[in-house]
Amino acid sequence: MNANNHDLHHLAGAYALDALDAEERRAFEAHYPTCDICIGEVEDFREIGAILAEGVETAPPSDLKTQIMAEVGQTRQISPLESETVVDLAEQRQRKSRLPLVLAAAAAAVVVVIGLLSVLNGSSENDTEPVLAAPDAVVTNLEGEVGSLRIVWSDELDMVAIFGNDLADPGVGMAYALWFVEADGVTPAALFTVDDDMVRIAETVDDIDPIAWGVTIEPDTGSPQPTGEILYLGEL
Amino acid sequence: MGDVNPFRRRGDTDGPAQASEVDRTSATLAAAGRGNEEAFGEFYDLTASLVYGVILKVVRDPAMAEEVTQETFVELWRLAPRYDATRGSAKSWTATIAHRRAVDRVRSEQSRRNREDRDHERRTENESDTTAEVVIDRLDHTRVRNALDALSDTQREAVTLAYYQGRTYREVALLLDVPEGTAKTRIRDGLIRLRDHFGVDS
Repeated sequence: MNANNHDLHHLAGAYALDALDAEERRAFEAHYPTCDICIGEVEDFREIGAILAEGVETAPPSDLKTQIMAEVGQTRQISPLESETVVDLAEQRQRKSRLPLVLAAAAAAVVVVIGLLSVLNGSSENDTEPVLAAPDAVVTNLEGEVGSLRIVWSDELDMVAIFGNDLADPGVGMAYALWFVEADGVTPAALFTVDDDMVRIAETVDDIDPIAWGVTIEPDTGSPQPTGEILYLGEL
Repeated sequence: MGDVNPFRRRGDTDGPAQASEVDRTSATLAAAGRGNEEAFGEFYDLTASLVYGVILKVVRDPAMAEEVTQETFVELWRLAPRYDATRGSAKSWTATIAHRRAVDRVRSEQSRRNREDRDHERRTENESDTTAEVVIDRLDHTRVRNALDALSDTQREAVTLAYYQGRTYREVALLLDVPEGTAKTRIRDGLIRLRDHFGVDS
């Protein structure tokens, strides 16, 4: 827990009342799912929020229900599966020996879509909200030896959001690379750097069908195929 | 990832009808999560005043409140299969989503107006209505009023400005003329005292 996280703990109250600005909300949302204290406080404070909401109960216009039910009848619900995969270290070490094989086998067949690559230095103010709110969002948690990463992917939106905490500096001229592993190959999804040990970005990807996510460190101009060690790995 | 919910279960509403209102809210939401529109209709009846009330409080404009309420309920329907009762009550889940949408709407409206009319728009558009006292005067719910009375004046101001007016803690700090850290702490301390008052503990 560094000083940065210590400050984040104190945001639980303001967060639960939606009293953080967009930037701090992003920072807190990257932090709190990994923090038992904050999870507990947010849950409690949201219950308080509901009680405060009861204090201002007001009957809505009577025709509103008809409109809502009509729209509900045409709205598909999200899947109940959250599909969270927490890859612990032991598991990850085992898989490290497996993924490079997958990567190597696939490398020859990979068609690299250069357009997918974008270097996200400073200009990574992408809005991750649509991905988080997507009905088909699939969340995968990756635990690494340093810090943690969470990948949220929406097939419908063709977008992927990357959240990370306590990540090491990738080094000068280097960046983290997110790869998606499909049945028939490996493709670069995004390059990202860290800001205050953290990352929170959203990236558009082509129509993909990933079975796993992998993260390596690569030159910040991107690599057509992984060259660095697999630092984070998670199967969907 | 397959859709595991191809069936409508129309018979789901019998059980909830006899339970307490809290249980019914939770039961109808769970049934709605299995695709039961009739149960969602009942869930609407149980929560519409809560949702519309908090949205109207934050956005103020009735037409906009109606629009945001509609968006919120469609969102509640979409997300219902993911509602997890172990992570909070149905009411809390509902109020959280409603409040978030209301706050996001006023902030995007505010930033749009700021862009369009930077020279003329005051940062806070209605000075006479920014004090916590006004908010509290309008509260007619005894249970909540009593609880807010248990807070110190400064905590009450901070909590009500944040929740009922959708202010960020930085705005609260400006409005109350205190450092940002103080505003943040007042909100959190106020919530902790309210938690003790209501005996909420997860």
